[in-house]
Amino acid sequence: MTTTATSYRSTRPAGHDGFGQVLWAEWTKLRTVRGWVLTIFLAAALTAAVPIFLASTARSNDAVTCAHGVCEAEGQTIAVGPASTAVVDNFYFAHQSLATDGSITARVSGLHGTGRLAIQSGFPRPPSTMPWAKAGLIIKASTRSGAAYMAVMLTGGHGVRMQYDFTHDVAGTSAGSAQWLRLTRTGDKVAAYESANGRQWIAIGTAALPGLTGTAQAGLFVASPTFQAAIGSGDSSIGIGTHATASFEHIALAGARPGGQWTGTQVGTPNASVDIKIAVNGHQARKLQVSQAGSVQVAAGTVTVGGSGDIAPFEPIVDPLHVTFFGTLFGLIALITLGALFVTAEYRRGLIRTTVTASPRRGRILLAKSIVIGVVAFVAGLVGGGIALPIASHKLYVNGWRPPVWPEVTLTSGIGLRVVLGTAAIAAAATVLGLAAGALFRRGTGAILATTGVVIVPLILALVLPLTLATWLLRLFPAAAFSLQAGVPRYAQTSTVCAPYHSCFPLSPWHGFAVLCAWAAVALVVAIYALRRRDV
Amino acid sequence: MRDAVHAEWTKLRTVPSTGWILLAVVALTVGASATASAIVKCPATCGADTTKLSLTGIMLGQGAVAALAVVVVTAEYGSGMIRVSLAAIPRRSVLVAAKAAVVTAAVLAAGTISVLGSVVTGRLLLPGNGFNTANGFTALSVLHGPTLRAAAGSVLYLALIGLFTLGVSMALRDSGLTTAVVVCVLYVIPLITNVMLSSVWQHRLDRWTPVNAGLAIQATRNIAKLPIGPWPGLGVLGLWAAAALAVGWVVLRLRDA
Repeated sequence: MTTTATSYRSTRPAGHDGFGQVLWAEWTKLRTVRGWVLTIFLAAALTAAVPIFLASTARSNDAVTCAHGVCEAEGQTIAVGPASTAVVDNFYFAHQSLATDGSITARVSGLHGTGRLAIQSGFPRPPSTMPWAKAGLIIKASTRSGAAYMAVMLTGGHGVRMQYDFTHDVAGTSAGSAQWLRLTRTGDKVAAYESANGRQWIAIGTAALPGLTGTAQAGLFVASPTFQAAIGSGDSSIGIGTHATASFEHIALAGARPGGQWTGTQVGTPNASVDIKIAVNGHQARKLQVSQAGSVQVAAGTVTVGGSGDIAPFEPIVDPLHVTFFGTLFGLIALITLGALFVTAEYRRGLIRTTVTASPRRGRILLAKSIVIGVVAFVAGLVGGGIALPIASHKLYVNGWRPPVWPEVTLTSGIGLRVVLGTAAIAAAATVLGLAAGALFRRGTGAILATTGVVIVPLILALVLPLTLATWLLRLFPAAAFSLQAGVPRYAQTSTVCAPYHSCFPLSPWHGFAVLCAWAAVALVVAIYALRRRDV
Repeated sequence: MRDAVHAEWTKLRTVPSTGWILLAVVALTVGASATASAIVKCPATCGADTTKLSLTGIMLGQGAVAALAVVVVTAEYGSGMIRVSLAAIPRRSVLVAAKAAVVTAAVLAAGTISVLGSVVTGRLLLPGNGFNTANGFTALSVLHGPTLRAAAGSVLYLALIGLFTLGVSMALRDSGLTTAVVVCVLYVIPLITNVMLSSVWQHRLDRWTPVNAGLAIQATRNIAKLPIGPWPGLGVLGLWAAAALAVGWVVLRLRDA
């Protein structure tokens, strides 16, 4: 006797393995493991707490010293510019008074470095002419160091430039070939022109200078910045004062007093002292400086000017906010660990077989996991960084890291926003890299060590290895992304030595982040390929 | 005890990953040391401590040592093998001692090869970069007192890092968690100490954290200026290792496996 058994069929509608369902499944897995949820909160707490601790202990011992009206920061003479930030403004100025409307034109030639230096062999030597040696025309509110200005110049290695108020730098149109320069002032507006022959003029740009009122000083200037080079890993550096001269012919000045004479003035104090030793963070930077007085000579329609110094924003060597935000690494390691375990735990418990049965398209699984863990890490980083930044920034201010040398960073300022968003973005991308490593290695230990090995170890090595190798490490490895956390603005037109030891990274913030993203993307693609190929 | 050590030794040598990890210890240490020796030039950095420089790779090799210690413990918890081990050797202290003995032996062997390889590459490469008699340097030799102390001390350093990690692994059991903690101790704390802007805290961390204090053993120049002397520094690491092992042993005794 047989009975016909009808197999049970659920009355619920059949499930789908659409991407939404996979995403939802992965989110459920993450939020229902108590240890993982704790890890997320711990990561956010560490991301906030360690930077605050580092900021509250960061002492700025004699970072800025002033004597006899001359201020020095990190061994360089500084002045306060129109934007209330520290600037370097030392150059030799041959000038005459200029009314509110007028212009100055000249042909500039023969810019070259002068002076010989006895430098021990093996030490870096300055080039014969510094790339940012400058010779040209300038209209400046006064001869006070730090006063507003507009200048158009030839440079040693960067062609014709129009620069104004220290932070602004505009390249000329015909690099190198133009020798004729002109500045035209109308009230507080100044326009810069260049020409190859003195007849056809090309406008480089116009700018309104708020600080340029009343009678200004117009004239010829020459400056040659201090040559700075890192020794070893960049924890020490040398600075060598340089000097340059240039000739000015066919000088035409409109708007000046009739019969005015060229007056030579040393603006600022280049190479303020010889052999300054600065102690930053217990490490010494040595500055060998050779003073050579500025000069102006007038002979048969040609004015020859020689000078030292630079007209540029001051870039502090130490970046306290960046150092402070290295404290986010603890939280980052917690998140990378979470990312790796999000996959490897499935292998250890055998859950991976259920997962691939439920969603046979395996690429989707890793994509869904990446999105879930990436978003969670981003939020953890955002919350931690968002709490850390205002408190750490305030503590740094209280501890003496303050304007004019160091910017006051807030959540809404450009730098503050980049640091907080950057912390979150690094957390997200590094965690996805950890997840991909987890899928590749299938073992937590290997995945975590490999990920921290490419994200954090290059950072450590960059601090101890010589500069050339250190900068390459920070170009090629995901550690490049930490430039997102830099707390001082960097400018192209300065000659400051850029050493990873002092948080100066070779790549700009978002380019550095792109390196990390590229690593994460490649690792994820390889992991998806491996997951599809291997048995589970 | 002999049987316990024999059992642990058998477990260690029959897992393929052990050989690879020990190879990684040697390769990472010698490779990184050779790179450091190859690119440092005198007179630009004549102040360099050539012995310490030639042992730079220890900083990388210690990661592989830690991996070995983590795997020895957490793999047993991951696979349930720990229950078999404890059934065979019910006395927890004997099991801890046996694991510590085999890990130490393996690390000492790999560490000795790594350190000798590093010193030899330093001896070969450094004179060509200006660290020669003309600039007042003698070729590195382990027969030279301070260099011998630094080299032998570096081997001991690796062994202590292995024991420290072993203790942490026993206390935490989970491979991911242990690895995260050990990476923070081995890499992030030294990095933060190096860059932080507080000389007071720098001095404290240099004296009392495992890696910073332990690596004082490599210094051969300006020893009087070190935050902590070579042997006291290694002693601090020894205390950390002992404390970690003690905690691991207590956890093993008190908790079910």
